[in-house]
Amino acid sequence: MMRVAAVGDIHMGPDSQGLLRPAFETLPDCADLLLLAGDLTRHGTPEEARVVAQEVRDLPVPVVAVLGNHDHHDEQPEKVTAILQDAGVTVLEGEGTVVECGGRRLGIAGTKGFGGGFVGRSAGEFGEPVMKEFVRTTRRSADSLRGALEALGRQGCDARVALTHFSPVADTLAGEPPEIHPFLGSYLLAEAIDTAGADLAVHGHAHLGTEHGMTAGGVRVRNVAQPVIRRAFNVYRLSAD
Amino acid sequence: MNDPTTHGASAPAGSEPAAGNVDYRIAHLRDRLAAEELGELGVRAEVRAGAVAVTGTVPSAQCRETLLRIVHEELAGLTVHSDIVVAETTRPDHAEEL
Repeated sequence: MMRVAAVGDIHMGPDSQGLLRPAFETLPDCADLLLLAGDLTRHGTPEEARVVAQEVRDLPVPVVAVLGNHDHHDEQPEKVTAILQDAGVTVLEGEGTVVECGGRRLGIAGTKGFGGGFVGRSAGEFGEPVMKEFVRTTRRSADSLRGALEALGRQGCDARVALTHFSPVADTLAGEPPEIHPFLGSYLLAEAIDTAGADLAVHGHAHLGTEHGMTAGGVRVRNVAQPVIRRAFNVYRLSAD
Repeated sequence: MNDPTTHGASAPAGSEPAAGNVDYRIAHLRDRLAAEELGELGVRAEVRAGAVAVTGTVPSAQCRETLLRIVHEELAGLTVHSDIVVAETTRPDHAEEL
């Protein structure tokens, strides 16, 4: 059994220091690792990133993260990444990592993802350059997710998790206005997950959404945005059988 | 950003008519919540039965206080019903078996 704790959208700022640490310190009792599904800060400033870093530094379980759109707002995602890495966080963007969980190997493939919408109601790679670049951004992210999941498969992982900030499915957006779904996720992420295979997909971003969903290929999806799960984190127990 | 005093119910005659439109005032509120110190995109503001309902979850008590101050500045003169909760930070009491 592999125990995966996850939360996204913690949106930390200077007034947040210490809010989540007491709960995080209990992680070894219930989880083998902690996934952070992006939007860890409010504006993506180094100051806010240092609050996050302090909150997770030296936790007794591995911490694996992707960044979210808020973490890009200050246009210093490399600096945010470096600050988190310095605190021991593995920050994924189009790549994977393997975590040992009680003798089993859990692979996590991560990317921020991007928008575009869902089948039948999605943006197309057509028209103005900015529109094409919008869709291509999502396509590149999805391609990198597929590649990372496939690489984890070749490494013989016992289970694989896809970690994104944007949603791969519309299911977990239920509660959000449908008009903004194209800004909340893309089916390209789900197609990548279904093509490469995964045991669980975890995302954030949709504060008004719902926790449970599934890709067309049957992969379970969980929206772990903190306003949705209403806890410091949730725990999912994956059977490796 | 917008000066909230130009959007009040008592805006002087001759000011831009659209500035008093509730829809645009809500849009400007959302712009300001995103642009200023909160960086807040997850709060909903919508007209319900002649009042503005502002709902959502924010990361801290201080964020809630700041948000409500900005809401009342931007929507001065309008009836506002707010239901803003602070994100819960307790650990879960059970795991989901997958």
